[in-house]
Amino acid sequence: MMSWKFSTAAAVAFVLAASAASAETIKIGFNTPQTGFAAADGKSALTGAQIAVDTVNAAGGVNGKKLELVVYDDQAKPKFAVPIATKLIQQDKVALGISGSYSAPTRASAGVYQNAKVPYISAYAVHPDVTRAGNYVFRTGILGSVQGKAAAKLIGDTLGKKRVVITIMKNDYGKSLAAGFRSVMADYGIQVIKEYQYSLRDRQFGPIVSSIKADNPDAIFDTGYWFVAAPFVSQLRSGGVKAVVVGQEGYDGVKFIEIAKKAAEGVIIVTALDRDSKEPEVRDFMTEFEKRTGYGADMVGASGHAAVMVAAAALKKAGSTDRVAIREALASIEVKAITGVLSFNVLGEVQKGLKVQEVRNGRWRYHSKIVDAKLLTPPEK
Amino acid sequence: MNYSDLLVQGLVEGCIYALIAVGLTLVYGLLRILHIAHAGIFTLGAYIGLLLTNETGSFAAAFVITVVVVGFFGMAFYRLFYEPLLDKPPHVALIASIGLFIAMEEIYRMVFGATSLSFLAPPLKDTVTVAGVRLEEGRVVVVVLAVVLIGGLAVLAGRTRIGIAWRATVSDAAMAESFGIDLARVRYVNFFVASAMAAAAGIMVALLLNQVIPTMGGVPAYKALAIIVLGGLGNVRGTLIAALALGVIESFGTIYLDRVLDRDAIAFAFLIAVLMIRPQGLFIRR
Repeated sequence: MMSWKFSTAAAVAFVLAASAASAETIKIGFNTPQTGFAAADGKSALTGAQIAVDTVNAAGGVNGKKLELVVYDDQAKPKFAVPIATKLIQQDKVALGISGSYSAPTRASAGVYQNAKVPYISAYAVHPDVTRAGNYVFRTGILGSVQGKAAAKLIGDTLGKKRVVITIMKNDYGKSLAAGFRSVMADYGIQVIKEYQYSLRDRQFGPIVSSIKADNPDAIFDTGYWFVAAPFVSQLRSGGVKAVVVGQEGYDGVKFIEIAKKAAEGVIIVTALDRDSKEPEVRDFMTEFEKRTGYGADMVGASGHAAVMVAAAALKKAGSTDRVAIREALASIEVKAITGVLSFNVLGEVQKGLKVQEVRNGRWRYHSKIVDAKLLTPPEK
Repeated sequence: MNYSDLLVQGLVEGCIYALIAVGLTLVYGLLRILHIAHAGIFTLGAYIGLLLTNETGSFAAAFVITVVVVGFFGMAFYRLFYEPLLDKPPHVALIASIGLFIAMEEIYRMVFGATSLSFLAPPLKDTVTVAGVRLEEGRVVVVVLAVVLIGGLAVLAGRTRIGIAWRATVSDAAMAESFGIDLARVRYVNFFVASAMAAAAGIMVALLLNQVIPTMGGVPAYKALAIIVLGGLGNVRGTLIAALALGVIESFGTIYLDRVLDRDAIAFAFLIAVLMIRPQGLFIRR
C-alpha cells in the first residue's frame, strides 16, 4: 500500500514538474515506434533526436527557450499515427512535428499536420507521398529513388561493374530504389541481367541464391532492410556467390554486421552517415549515441538528430513559434547537420550529398562519397 | 538454373516447417485446440538456445538443454492455460491461444529487448556439398534433426505404452479413460513432445538466420496453420507431407512465381485451392 501511495505521489509530482517545465519550453511533437516490429529503429531515432535536443538546450536553447520533445509511440502503424498527430497538434500544441517513424504512419500523419497547417519533418520515412501532403511537410531523409540513382552511379561508375542483378524488397521503399536505379543505369553502362523479388518477412533465400549463382553477375544491388539483408548476404556467401553486394540506407547499422558476421565484409552501401567523418559534430554524436544505447550510431539515429537540428534552426530563423513563420523558415533554410548540408526544394525534399560506406574488419568505414548534384536532385512534384 | 538446387533448398525449408507443424497437429489431434501460441514457444526455444550458446560456448549442450527446458515449459503452459479451458467450446481456447501468442511476443520484447540478438560465434556455418548442392552445415543438421525427431515420434507412437495410450486417447478420450489410461499424463507428454520439437526448430532457425527477434514466430504461426489444415487436421503423416510439399513449392515459386505471388502467399493460395477441391484436407484422418 505504501509503495502504491508513494508512486501516485511521485506521479503527481512528475506531472506537476513536467507542466511547470513545459510552460517555458518549445514543444516538438515526435511520433516513433517504441514497441512492435519497428521498435529498434524507433529507439535509434528517438535517441538521435534526444541527443540533438540536449545539445541545443545545453547551448542555451532556441530564442531563449529550451526545446522539449513530446514523444508518442505509433508502433509504426498508421492507425496510431493519426490520433497521435491530432493529439500533438490540438492538446500538446506543438510548434512543429517530427516523424521518427516509417513511411506508412508518416504518410498518414502528414495529412493531419498539413490540414492543421503545422510544419512536419520526416526524418527517415522515404515514401514519395509524404511530402506530397502539402507545403507544410518536409523531409530530411533522402528519397528511395534518389538513393537508387546514387547506387547506379556507385556500381557502374565508381566500381565499374556492369552486369548487375537487382533484388527487390516488395514494399514502397524497395520498389522506389529499384525504379531510381533503372532510370539512370543506362548512363553508366549497366545491364540488369535479372531481377528478383522477396517480401519483407522472407529470411530464407536459398532458391534466389541458387538462381543468382547461375546468373553469375558482377554486382548485386539489394534494396532490403538490414534484418532481411543480413540473412540474404550470409546465404549468398555460403552459397558461393562472390559478386560485390551494394546496399543502401536500409543496411545501415551495427546489426547488419552483427548478424551477417564475416559475410558482411566488403558490402558497400550508399547512406547518410559517414563513420570516419572528421567533423567534430559527427564524432561527438557517435560517441554520445553509443554511450546512450550501447551500440554504434546508425543512419536512423543520425536522421533523427538531423531532423531536430533542422527544426531548431528553423525555429531560430523564424524567431517565434508562429507556425507560418516556421514553415517559411524551413522552406528557405540551409543547415549543416551531421548527415550533410541540408536544404529543401519546393516540394520539401532535401538536397544533399550521399556517403558511401563499406564493411571492413567488422565495421562500417569510409569508401567514397557521391556529390553529383544533378543526379541527387530530388523530384519537385 | 539448377532444379536440384531448388528442390534441396525447398526440402530443407520443408523440414523446418515440419518440425513446427507436427507439434501443432499433435495438439490439435488430442485436444481440438488450435494452438497458435505454439509459434511463441518456437520463439522461446530460439531465445533460450541462443543465450545459452553465447553463455556456455557450446551449441550442442545449449540445444539439448533448451529442447528439454522448453518441453517442460510446454507442459506448464498446458497446465496453466489450456487445462482450465478444456470444458469450454474450442473457440475459447483458440482466442486464449491468440492472446497468449501476442502476450508472449511482447514479453520477449520487454525481457530480451526489441532489437535482434545474434550468436557471438555461430557454429555450423561451413558449407558442404550434398548431391551437387552447396549447403550450409546448419541446413544439413536441420534435415537430420527432422528425420530423427519425427522418426522418434513415430517409434514413440507405434511401439511404446505411452504411444499406444496416446493414440487411444486421440481416437476416443472417454473410452481410453474407461480403460484406465491417465489422460492428464498423455496430454503432458503430448505438450512436452510438441514444444520440444518447436524449440528445436526455433534454435535451428535462429542459427540459420543468426537473428532472433520477438516477432519471429509470426510467419511460422500462420504457415504452420495452413500446413496442418492441408495435412488434414490432427494427421501427422499428412502434416509431414504438406510441410515438405509447401517447402518445395515455395522454393520454385520464389523463382518462377515472384511476379504474381508473394512467397508467403503461396501457402494460402495452395490452401484455398486444396480446400475448394478437397475440403477435408489433402489427407483424410484415420
